[in-house]
Amino acid sequence: MRILHNTNIDFLGKRKIFYIVSVSIIIIGMILLYLKPIPLGIDFLGGTELQVKFANDVNIGEIRDIMDKNDFPGMEIKSMGGPKFVLLRTPLQGEGQTVSDKIISVLKTNFPDNTFSVERIDKVGPKIGAELRTKALFAVVFSLLGILIYLAFRFQLIYAFGAVIALFHDVLITVSAVAIFDALIPSLKLELNQTMLAAFLTLIGFSANDTVIIFDRIRENIKLFKNEDIQTVMNKSVNATLSRTVITSGTVFLTVLVLFIFGGEVLRGFSFTFGIGIITGTYSSVFVASSIVVDWKNRVHDKFTIKGKTKLSTAK
Amino acid sequence: MKKNLARIVLTGVFILFAIWFIYPTYRDNQLNKELATKTGQDSVDFITNYGDKLKKSREDRIKLGLDLKGGMYVVLDVDVIKFLEDIAKKKDDILIGILGELKEQTKTTDLPIIDLLVTKLNSRGLTLKSYYGGDRDDAKAVEKKLNDEIDNAIDIAVRVVRTRVDQYGVAEPQLQKIGNKRIIVELPGVNNPDEVRKLLQGTALLQFQLLKDPAITYKVMQSINKVLAGDTTQVSSNDTLKSNSLAGTKETIKKDTTKITKKDTANLKSDKKEKSKTDTKKDTTKSKKDTVKNKDTSAINTDTASAQDSIANMSIEERKKKFPFFMLVKLYEGGGADGYVEENDKPQVDFILKRADVKAVIPSDMVFLWSQKTIDIEGKKYFILYGIKKDAELTGKVVEEAKSTIDPQTNSPVVTMGMSSEGAREWARITGANINKRCAIVLDGIVYSAPVIKSKITGGSSQIEGMANIQEAKLLEIVLKAGALPAPLKIIEERSIGPSLGEDSINKGLTSSMGALLLVALFMIVYYKFGGGVADFALLINVLFVVGVMAAFKATLTLPGIAGLILTLGMAVDTNVLIFERIREEQNSGKPLRTCIDIGYKKAFSAIIDSHLTSVITGIILYQFGTGPIQGFALTLLIGIVVNLFSAIVITHFIFDILIEKGKQISFG
Repeated sequence: MRILHNTNIDFLGKRKIFYIVSVSIIIIGMILLYLKPIPLGIDFLGGTELQVKFANDVNIGEIRDIMDKNDFPGMEIKSMGGPKFVLLRTPLQGEGQTVSDKIISVLKTNFPDNTFSVERIDKVGPKIGAELRTKALFAVVFSLLGILIYLAFRFQLIYAFGAVIALFHDVLITVSAVAIFDALIPSLKLELNQTMLAAFLTLIGFSANDTVIIFDRIRENIKLFKNEDIQTVMNKSVNATLSRTVITSGTVFLTVLVLFIFGGEVLRGFSFTFGIGIITGTYSSVFVASSIVVDWKNRVHDKFTIKGKTKLSTAK
Repeated sequence: MKKNLARIVLTGVFILFAIWFIYPTYRDNQLNKELATKTGQDSVDFITNYGDKLKKSREDRIKLGLDLKGGMYVVLDVDVIKFLEDIAKKKDDILIGILGELKEQTKTTDLPIIDLLVTKLNSRGLTLKSYYGGDRDDAKAVEKKLNDEIDNAIDIAVRVVRTRVDQYGVAEPQLQKIGNKRIIVELPGVNNPDEVRKLLQGTALLQFQLLKDPAITYKVMQSINKVLAGDTTQVSSNDTLKSNSLAGTKETIKKDTTKITKKDTANLKSDKKEKSKTDTKKDTTKSKKDTVKNKDTSAINTDTASAQDSIANMSIEERKKKFPFFMLVKLYEGGGADGYVEENDKPQVDFILKRADVKAVIPSDMVFLWSQKTIDIEGKKYFILYGIKKDAELTGKVVEEAKSTIDPQTNSPVVTMGMSSEGAREWARITGANINKRCAIVLDGIVYSAPVIKSKITGGSSQIEGMANIQEAKLLEIVLKAGALPAPLKIIEERSIGPSLGEDSINKGLTSSMGALLLVALFMIVYYKFGGGVADFALLINVLFVVGVMAAFKATLTLPGIAGLILTLGMAVDTNVLIFERIREEQNSGKPLRTCIDIGYKKAFSAIIDSHLTSVITGIILYQFGTGPIQGFALTLLIGIVVNLFSAIVITHFIFDILIEKGKQISFG
């Protein structure tokens, strides 16, 4: 059985289209982010969050009214996977445990017949929130940097750049996609927290994975096809690895799908984001990374020479 | 064949190791299942017989993270500001003000506090040594000494917290000092967050403080009252407690005197008779004059004569205007100068006591402290406000032993304390010199009881009561035994997970893993036929190895960790796909099968290494910058990647080699 075998698609010839597609998605995403930013979880914002399970169904609106009246105006209240489960969140965190205790006692007094158990309490002070935000930023920057350096060793600097720009593009597109879906399907309850950060870093690693496979093949083919121009060689390489790229992404996507469906609330944000990341990662590896390399080479005219490898003419 | 022999042996050894390390987890599960089916004597027997095995399995098994087991995760921050306030040699308003500013600042930044303090002091023309050092010390030395003291305090705090946590009786608690002023505490299986918070945050500063002479306390209260009422006249020396009885409302005294009696009993023998109902007319002060009728609302007299000016004749507004303090803080005949404050009024009284103009009339050797519990008077709950000598006669340092128990006489929980011999001597001296005076037992600034010293106590024993139940007493016992915290601790992050959520997560994790494994295995067989089957076999070994490595390192499994495992399944497939696609390509050029396989592995190798290493880079970074569950994810991912390299490249290769030698025709689809 073969999938996408012996294809001969002119990927690099059509690269302008792909640039436009990418940039459009990113622009839409950025606009959406500006208008309706993805909410920050309490990991990054600080605050108190309670997950409560009632014995009987509850009405979210009712709870919201009660909280409004009891010094918690505008508290975020969501149902979590069923009419008995409620998630309450407020950016307040008083000294010690006053906030969560107050929330619990308000619930107790107003729902005397509906016993509930508090399944989870998370409290994050503002200092920790700020720290985690900084750490998250550094994490993303350092991964990109780390990959840049490693790839510069294994390939040329320009390839490293191409790969990292593609990765950066992946992050932007995924963030945009998350923003778009968050706007379309609010019930997905996407928010930025530590698990999302894990998703982003994993997708960076995964997309780099993909890109490297293609570059490896290009590196091999450049040696084999010394007389052909770079664009043809790249096209050959991308086509040759297409089958493998799609299959791998496909299987990983499948496992993430299982996670999304069966993995529960905690991992939902992660599986969703990473799922999108797989798609954009594959897309960027195939369409974007090599394109950037070609365009750079065309522009700069072989300014960066390969370490002891054959130069190629850049004639189109 | 020789090459393959080495590989087979190596793999075999690894498999055995993996099983060896995983076995305790399996055994732990089995033993616990069996234990759960037994009850009563059977279960006790079971534990005795299998005690060692149970313990060993528990220690060696894979740990479940808090998100899978339930429990609490707490990050404690040492309150350096409060510590600085406590150890300052001179505490004036300027210092308090500066420390208050620092407190706000440090809420969001993490700059070194001493440096900030020095800057602020210098900007006001003051130096650090004016507050923390002697005149002869030079500035740098003072700074260093202060920093050393802070470091020392933090280390002591870590030790104290560790002792408390150990004694609390949580299975496998984990404690870690982070940076130089944070402590991370993990308590699996705990589901009483309130108790834990109390356990971790209470400074446990125990002090024995004498009460101020009631006459003086009363005078101070009057001064406060005057400040509130805007009255600038002096408190006359004729105003003695004995000439004034009830202040304020219509409540009767009968009920409370008996309750005071109960509350104030201790090992110190208190004379119940003195406080009995029949003696409501007598004061507890040294005065023997019988003054007032208790039933009606009598007046606060500003001179002894005009007792007719009863408050009952005033309206509520007038009362509030003239005696604002006493409307909130009620005094009773027979209650000395203990102020009774309704539960709802407590915050207001607190506020009043913090006012600068009120503080100005409180003598510097005196402090007002609250009772730990409320008492019931006619259906309303009252806190008691005590006027207490600021300097402690004795502190908890002398307490060597503490035991929570139920007092047989009163049937309520108490904590009995034993003192060191020095402490016992001191205590004997103090009690001997203050007979008939009252001594308050104060913990963290709250009065647990204030009994009368009836006689000299020589045994060095003492008792704290006033706890709601035996659990509270037990907490107190632990905290007293572990010692006082040198600096207060604040909880800056807390996550509690209930056990049911944990179980739920485990189930979901397991289902997803199995589902994913199944799907992937199926795909491989369908697409790569027999080759795919071999890859699946390697995949299973892959999983075994990952779990084995985790068990060997006693790593903790979290829910994201399970996600990481599932992800490595997907990536493991990637490696196989790379190799098999190459093999297929080579097969197209018609080479013999064995050559194709060898070339396939060789050519795919560079791509495999590069792609895995980039994933490893992000994995490491994630581990560095993440916390808790995220680190669990990074760990499983990293282990999975490394293991995968081995199983995909080595294991599948030699399996193919062996099969080909045996002449099997392997199809790669």
